[in-house]
Amino acid sequence: MFRFLLRRIVVGLGVLLGVSLITFLIAFVVPADPAVAMAGAKADPQTLAIIREQLGLNQPLYIQYARYLRRALHGDLGRSYIRRENVTALILERFPATAILALSAMALALMLGLLMGGLAAAWRDRALDHALFVLSLGFVSMPVFWIGTLLLIVAASYLKLFPLGGFGSWSALVLPTITLGLGLAGYYSRILHTNLGEAMGQDYIRTARGKGLSPRGALIRHALPNALAPLLTLAGLDLAGLLSGVVLTETVFDWPGIGRLAFEAVFNLDIPLIMGTVLFGAVIVIAANIVVDALYAWLDPRIRLGDLG
Amino acid sequence: MGLLRFSSLSALLLLVPLLGCGRGNDALQLPPNARILHLASLDDIPTLDPAAGYDTASWTFEQMIFDTLVRYSDAGVDLVPDLATSWQESADARTFTFHLRRNATFTNGRAVTSADLRYEIERVLTPATRSKGIEYYRDIIGAEAFVAGRASTVSGIETPDPWTIIFHLAAADPIFLDKLAMPFAAAVPREAAQKWGDDFSRHVIGSGPFMLRQWRSGQQIVLVRNPHYFDPSLPRLDAIVMQLGVDPELEWLKFQAGDLDISAIPPAEFPYVMKTPRLRNLTLHITTLSTDYLGMNCRMKPFDDVRVRQAFNYAIRKPKLIAILNGRGVAASGILPPGLPGYDPGIRGYPFDPAKARALLEAAGVGRNFAPTLWLRADQQEITLAESVQQDLAQVGVHLILKPVAWSALLEAIRQPHTVEFFSLGWEADFPDPQNFLEVLFARRQWGSNNDSFYANPRVDQLLDEAAPLSDRARRYALYDEAQQLILGDAPWVVLYYPVTYVIRQPWVHNYILNPLRPTRFDRVWLAPHPHETP
Amino acid sequence: MHFTRGSIRAFASVISARLKPNLMEVAGALMVALLAATAIGAPYLAPYDPAAAVANSFGDPAPPSRAFPLGTDELGRDVLSRLIWGARISLEVGLAAMAVTLAIGVIVGLLAGFFGGLTDFVLMRLTDIMLSFPTLLLAMAFVTVLHPSLLTILLVIGLVSWTGVARVVRAETLSLAQRDFVTAARSLGAGPARLIAIHILPNVMPLIVVMAVLGTSSTLLLDAGLSFLGLGVPPPTPSWGRMIEEATTYFRTAPWLAVFPGLAIFSAVLGFNLLGYGYLRRTAPRRSL
Repeated sequence: MFRFLLRRIVVGLGVLLGVSLITFLIAFVVPADPAVAMAGAKADPQTLAIIREQLGLNQPLYIQYARYLRRALHGDLGRSYIRRENVTALILERFPATAILALSAMALALMLGLLMGGLAAAWRDRALDHALFVLSLGFVSMPVFWIGTLLLIVAASYLKLFPLGGFGSWSALVLPTITLGLGLAGYYSRILHTNLGEAMGQDYIRTARGKGLSPRGALIRHALPNALAPLLTLAGLDLAGLLSGVVLTETVFDWPGIGRLAFEAVFNLDIPLIMGTVLFGAVIVIAANIVVDALYAWLDPRIRLGDLG
Repeated sequence: MGLLRFSSLSALLLLVPLLGCGRGNDALQLPPNARILHLASLDDIPTLDPAAGYDTASWTFEQMIFDTLVRYSDAGVDLVPDLATSWQESADARTFTFHLRRNATFTNGRAVTSADLRYEIERVLTPATRSKGIEYYRDIIGAEAFVAGRASTVSGIETPDPWTIIFHLAAADPIFLDKLAMPFAAAVPREAAQKWGDDFSRHVIGSGPFMLRQWRSGQQIVLVRNPHYFDPSLPRLDAIVMQLGVDPELEWLKFQAGDLDISAIPPAEFPYVMKTPRLRNLTLHITTLSTDYLGMNCRMKPFDDVRVRQAFNYAIRKPKLIAILNGRGVAASGILPPGLPGYDPGIRGYPFDPAKARALLEAAGVGRNFAPTLWLRADQQEITLAESVQQDLAQVGVHLILKPVAWSALLEAIRQPHTVEFFSLGWEADFPDPQNFLEVLFARRQWGSNNDSFYANPRVDQLLDEAAPLSDRARRYALYDEAQQLILGDAPWVVLYYPVTYVIRQPWVHNYILNPLRPTRFDRVWLAPHPHETP
Repeated sequence: MHFTRGSIRAFASVISARLKPNLMEVAGALMVALLAATAIGAPYLAPYDPAAAVANSFGDPAPPSRAFPLGTDELGRDVLSRLIWGARISLEVGLAAMAVTLAIGVIVGLLAGFFGGLTDFVLMRLTDIMLSFPTLLLAMAFVTVLHPSLLTILLVIGLVSWTGVARVVRAETLSLAQRDFVTAARSLGAGPARLIAIHILPNVMPLIVVMAVLGTSSTLLLDAGLSFLGLGVPPPTPSWGRMIEEATTYFRTAPWLAVFPGLAIFSAVLGFNLLGYGYLRRTAPRRSL
């Protein structure tokens, strides 16, 4: 168990190293001179030369990378070119807003997904099943920025049920949650439907049925708990993805999370902030993977690294 | 498997306390009947450090938290006393002596002295500060040695006593006073700036009418009245609260609900506001000292041919751009915007004449398959205006390709020779003087810096050099006008429009005055009793 | 949506499944056909030049009328014509980006699955690295760095979305490589190139086709998202995502500007999803892609 975990962490660190290298390289093929980004439109060449020297931009790339890595390991992701602030602090300041939205959207997605997937499986191959299947595909096919804009038009602008975006009240959370949650709900409902179908074909379900349990009883008591575990694993990994910032939803609703921060960073070519948000997102995902794998291994010692691909 | 579910659930529960963060106003400690000005903005404030900020949002607050020696009057571009009560300029415009008021204190209780003004200019000149203002103070004697690290102080700044400061310049500079009115030259307490370093922005201490109470990135910034401000009658507000991350549409709705005292007007609502007398009467507007233009690289074919550049000037329908802007611009005919000292109302500019444009293109040998690339900032309004230009040029057989790029990438690219043939930019005045447009943007020695169109005309250079040191305004402006006429004839730019800023205010807001060069000052703003007073 | 780690089963059932499409597949195929027809016929279908100012609605979009069934935008352009031409650019980007995605994903998957060992380890760690990035954020960063253009967008979308394909193809190759007909061919002296080209690839092909259909729906969405953020194919090419972005300014005064391009994206993506998932549901109900 311990060796498995250690191996998993070592591989995770290797992946992280690769991630940091790619992030670093994005920043250095950037067509803009960081000195110009910092000194602004009106700076003269002399000032720019001084800033370049100071940032160490004249040093070879590998030295710059080593320095970047050393600082990142200490949690220092550098300072924003535009805002001069500590990138780590800026990201952490925005994290709660993203976390609230991610958790609430995930809760909606799981509830709605369970309901839809469960109902569809209970009425397998009936009209309801097909209708729910098409509905789930409809959910995943909607562009989030469009459904978000439509919700703003209808629910906020015309019906005045919710605020037009912004952050700071519980009612402001409703529309972004729906926007972000629907697509995931459609996805989970389809996964659950498939998993339940698979579970219902297993021997233990046949045994239960043989003991006189009704199909729906077997579905709820035996198949559901088994189909739920992989779904929750998936949801855990997806949650990590959401926590790294939901750019489109946050942009539509002016939600002050990491996604909006990243969006602003990209538009200002604020390189340390772009690198910081990308790296932060990757770290969350890698950590979530390790945690999920460890949980699996802890619960089921037969599982070995190779099985997890 | 049941265990797994439990673990996932408890992991979720661990994150729940986050829901408490970032929400609810922790005590701002404002009195119950505080007079609060409510504002909103989409973008966060880049910085409050006066050495760092160089944009409207930052300066809006910096100029309320810090004081400079002199500042512009509320509505105009004339200089009035701030920390200095009086000053003398030598006849050769090379020595400037200021006498400071003795009753100014920083909000940490210490008196403001001449050393604090010297400190900030030296801080700006220190390369490690990476200040965007560094170039404005390089003409002070000894500044170059200081920047290069050869001197520990700037020898041309004298502080004979705490209440006197003298600047000696290496060359005559009639607009040096304007440079001292920039927030870069504010009084900053060394003890605070050194303690916080790059984080000073979040812990600013100044001597201005307001002080920072709270700043939550992307959410809210709160300034409160400085009770020890040197003018005890000011400010007339107790606090300024600006909500951040508020979309223009949302800002407008909040304004209509009475939650905001001032608002911008979203483009889509603008026609409606102008058609409604009650709302129109609440608007304020001002033509800013800036010019939006399309630049052509005079060193790149076929833009090296003056006929091509003139053809582009004839081809573009400026009234259409103004219509797309909903009237938030004045069609431009010259480089200098109206309101700038030295502006010449007699300049006619190029009329819209597509036939003449086509004829000039033919004469220059430009065929109908000409497809130049227009570089522009990746911004929705910029792109929309560029699409309009694209439509106009299509009418004269030019197929414009748009290349929207990030702001800093654009700035970087246009400085390279032979890289950007055609670009869309705007220039905002730093100082109310023609030099700030004509010399900075068209002098030969500004190639690779701000002369983005790589324009050169020896006669223009001569006129610019002749005008720069002149303190005699009439002669100065006459020479600049001559230079402007020559440049317009050579047509390195298509001047498009002078942007007009519109805001709308509630009827109970008084003394909210727009300035053509700077953000509005809040120190004299006051609010009449009104139905939305509870914060 | 990405392809997920799912149980990979033998795919014989897919190959042998008879073509007896269900209603969903028919509906999906019709929607895709409609999209393709619009894209191909755009020059004949669009009533106006999509880039030219044909009405005088500058700065104040005009509502639908007889002459302009979907209204005109703030630049006086006909929204219907833009929508029709938008089908062409969306389909072009969607299909070409999918081709890039497949090219990278299939090569990586085949190599990793066939050779195993160190090759597999390295390629799969590379996949892990790419999977760790927030997809949209990475795409935004890449597009900005390389400047938006048709080619950049295709490459970037391909570059950030190949991992799912690679994993599925690898698993499939892994199981095929141990099957009798492959080991038999190997013992007869067939080299790796021949084994992959003749014995493995044709058997992975049905799976690749399904992934191409489903993948197109993801690339369409990703492209629309980038366009919405202002990082799409530059104007005057009318793209649905950018039409929505432009419309957000007017969403209170001219909501129709946002409604129709969104419906277009939605129906295009839904068409590919119905086709792909409808087929999977019929032929391999337990496969989760």
